[in-house]
Amino acid sequence: MGPWDVDQVLGLAPDPASAKAAQAQARPAKWPETGSSERAVWGLCLGGGTTEAVGRGRGSAQPYRTAVDPSGPAYKCSCPSRKVPCKHALGLMLLWAAGEVRSGDEPEWVKSWVDQRVARAERPERKPGEVADPLAAQQRASRRADRVSAGMAELASWLDDQVRQGLGGFDQRAYSELSRLAARMVDAQAPGVAGAVRRAAGVVGRGHGWPGELLEELSLIHLIVSAHARLADLPPSLADTVQSRIGWTVETARVQAEGEKVADDWLVLGRVIEPDDRLTVRRVWLRGATTGRLGLILNFAAAGRPLDPLPARPGEYVPGALSYYPGALPMRALLTQTAPRRPAPRPAGFTARQALASYVESVAADPWNERWPFVLQDVRPARYGDGWALVDESGDGLELLPGLDPLKLLAVSAGEPLTVAGEWNRAGFRPMTCWHVDRPVIL
Amino acid sequence: MKGWDGLVSSALLGTDRRPVHFEELPEHIQERLGDGDLLDAAALATVYKRAGRTPLRDLEPMPAAAGEDRPLPRPVAIRRLAAMLGGFQTAALGEWLRAADERGWGVPPEHLPALADHARNRAEFRPLVIAAAGRRATWLADLNPEWKFLHAAESDDPKLWSHGNALQRRTWLRKTRAQDPAAALEALREVWPTESAATRAEFLALLAEGLSLTDEEFLEAALDDRAKDVRRGAARLLARIPGSRYGDRMTGRLWSHLVVSQGVLAVDLPKRVSASMERDGIDSQNPEGIGKRAWWFLQIVANTPLSVMDPAWPAMPVEGCAPEILQAAWTEAAVRERSRTWARELLTANASTGGRSAAELLRILPADEWVRAVTALKETIDLTELVGRLPVPWPASLASMILDQLAAAGTARGWARLASVAARAVPADVLDHPITREPTGEEDTWRRRLVETLIFRRELYEELS
Repeated sequence: MGPWDVDQVLGLAPDPASAKAAQAQARPAKWPETGSSERAVWGLCLGGGTTEAVGRGRGSAQPYRTAVDPSGPAYKCSCPSRKVPCKHALGLMLLWAAGEVRSGDEPEWVKSWVDQRVARAERPERKPGEVADPLAAQQRASRRADRVSAGMAELASWLDDQVRQGLGGFDQRAYSELSRLAARMVDAQAPGVAGAVRRAAGVVGRGHGWPGELLEELSLIHLIVSAHARLADLPPSLADTVQSRIGWTVETARVQAEGEKVADDWLVLGRVIEPDDRLTVRRVWLRGATTGRLGLILNFAAAGRPLDPLPARPGEYVPGALSYYPGALPMRALLTQTAPRRPAPRPAGFTARQALASYVESVAADPWNERWPFVLQDVRPARYGDGWALVDESGDGLELLPGLDPLKLLAVSAGEPLTVAGEWNRAGFRPMTCWHVDRPVIL
Repeated sequence: MKGWDGLVSSALLGTDRRPVHFEELPEHIQERLGDGDLLDAAALATVYKRAGRTPLRDLEPMPAAAGEDRPLPRPVAIRRLAAMLGGFQTAALGEWLRAADERGWGVPPEHLPALADHARNRAEFRPLVIAAAGRRATWLADLNPEWKFLHAAESDDPKLWSHGNALQRRTWLRKTRAQDPAAALEALREVWPTESAATRAEFLALLAEGLSLTDEEFLEAALDDRAKDVRRGAARLLARIPGSRYGDRMTGRLWSHLVVSQGVLAVDLPKRVSASMERDGIDSQNPEGIGKRAWWFLQIVANTPLSVMDPAWPAMPVEGCAPEILQAAWTEAAVRERSRTWARELLTANASTGGRSAAELLRILPADEWVRAVTALKETIDLTELVGRLPVPWPASLASMILDQLAAAGTARGWARLASVAARAVPADVLDHPITREPTGEEDTWRRRLVETLIFRRELYEELS
């Protein structure tokens, strides 16, 4: 087990302050005892200031016991900090990275901790897809399918009523009507459709073009409903897409076991974090260095809670295998990392026209697809109305998402052509990462 | 897309009232529609529209900022900058920028917006941010009205003087004055009659740099300016020109109110302010805490050239007014002329410094005298008050002395203020002081904060080397 490098260790820090505090801990004088084995790194850290402790007649303070299993990585520390990893664990890793930790025999407290971890890991897990009580599970699934079907039928007749009677005057009753409908869809265990209905409600009354926008949204909901009605006739992958749009989720274990697997060096194109009242959503977009395949890692966290650390910084490679969720446009995936992240060169990108063409292909496979990642090459910023656009060498441009703060991107460009990775949707392009010469810059 | 608006109006009015005309839709859609209804057609049309989107045309890309970028420091240094902008040890931000600039490093451009925002309300930061922005400074200044100050980036373009905004003109004048004082005076003379009072006062203040007898005639004329701020500013500048007629006039006034006889300074306070005194900037309105006549006399002494007075005077008895009046006046004069002899005399005599701090006299002395002077003064003046007003970074000798004292002080509360001053004022070559290697304890004491800051700053310099 070779030590990590300093950057890798600091990449584990939950926030910049921790990284800083860890560096203060990474002094051999703080650690009267350290050691490492094939399985773990450990040490005793002089914690609470010895001077005060003496002053209060407590004798010297008890040192903290800190241990790290780099394979996880997993941490154990007797300090009261709630941060994971704490500054002591990070400091210890830094010492280890600096070659200041010698190998030795695991003391009992380390050994028992690592043994426990190993035992837990070896406990036979349920096979992927295996269910405790297959009969009950089947009953649950069929009950849900019935409920969804009922919900879809209700939605279909509601939609038909709307277009027959007209959406005019809808702006007065839209909110209550659509909210009620969304709640009905949640009851029907179709949360994906419920979300689509809520989005439609958000369009009503916004700007002059809202009736057209609303018709677009409703027609795509209609498309889900009618696709659900003939699910059995659809190609299996498209049927999967429809199911996932309705809100059926595939268990991760099944994705791991049965999903399409692609191994590659995955370039992290960037990430978008959408904070919400209740749930923070993070989309991490990947692109395979050799396969050119795209992938999406979705992470969720309750509001105010931290998200899992990124597998790599935007602009870096993370070597590993993606297991794709099923669907006609396989994008969402689970990542199994196989080697440490490493720097990547500046990626090649598209012209504006090529980028739009790639989006069209995605819509051809999945008409509901809303977001699409791509890299634009040699684009320069230009004013576009009140906002901004990026213009390629041939003069073709794509607008930036309105309301986005473009100043970082503009400052990096200073009018010169840039490579920019971002997420496209109908409203515009949201830059995630750009390259200042060859250095990736997170936007 | 043709036919779409028809779909929308049918949907708005309801198909009962306005049947859909599918034949208006593009053929591709009609073909696929079969016997579908309005929503089927709308779904097809929606995807059709989205897929048919074309790039924007006829956009004018921003012109590129001319010039070249400096090389960037190591990633670890850049991470420290990002941490400071994120709110960690932000007080060291200026130091980082200055050190990076001195060593020829650039600043990663993605941090410029945050730096510009930071400097918006901190004027002392602006030159640093302008240097950090390099060729991007004026480019960015046009993007955000709140970053207008970036226009102060230096430029040799003479058009800036005639056509630039207020900031660019000030910058041009300051720079020209530093290179060729007479040329700056000439440029100012040309535009002088047409400028507003506020602008005249601002420009006039810039003449403080490179002041000489060449400026006398212009400044004498400015004593008769319409605007009071300009008249005052001109008087302040004239008082700083050795051998000026202004100095002669003040000397004359001094001698009509002060007689040195038999080892005593005999003062006869002025009874009125004459028109010529007022013209020379003597303020007739006394501030609180001082009598009118004493105030007039103080201003006369403060603006008289020190060369006509004797550094032995502060030790002599005074008759006819409180000695503090004279002492405060000499302090003003010593600061104005940056006279080491007078500063030394006044500090030794433990003279009253009036509205000023003793530190202002101290900073006139050569830095290697500071330790001795501080040691003597701290008997009567609060140490933190004194060193807290000295320019930073301190000379190494003073910094070592203060850190030695703090190292010996344990964690007693009374030292907290001095420690927080010292944390920022210690120069780069004393950041390795032994106090940084002594245990600080886990508790949040001044000592721990001091050591953390010193180590933080030490690493900052190491990373930028």
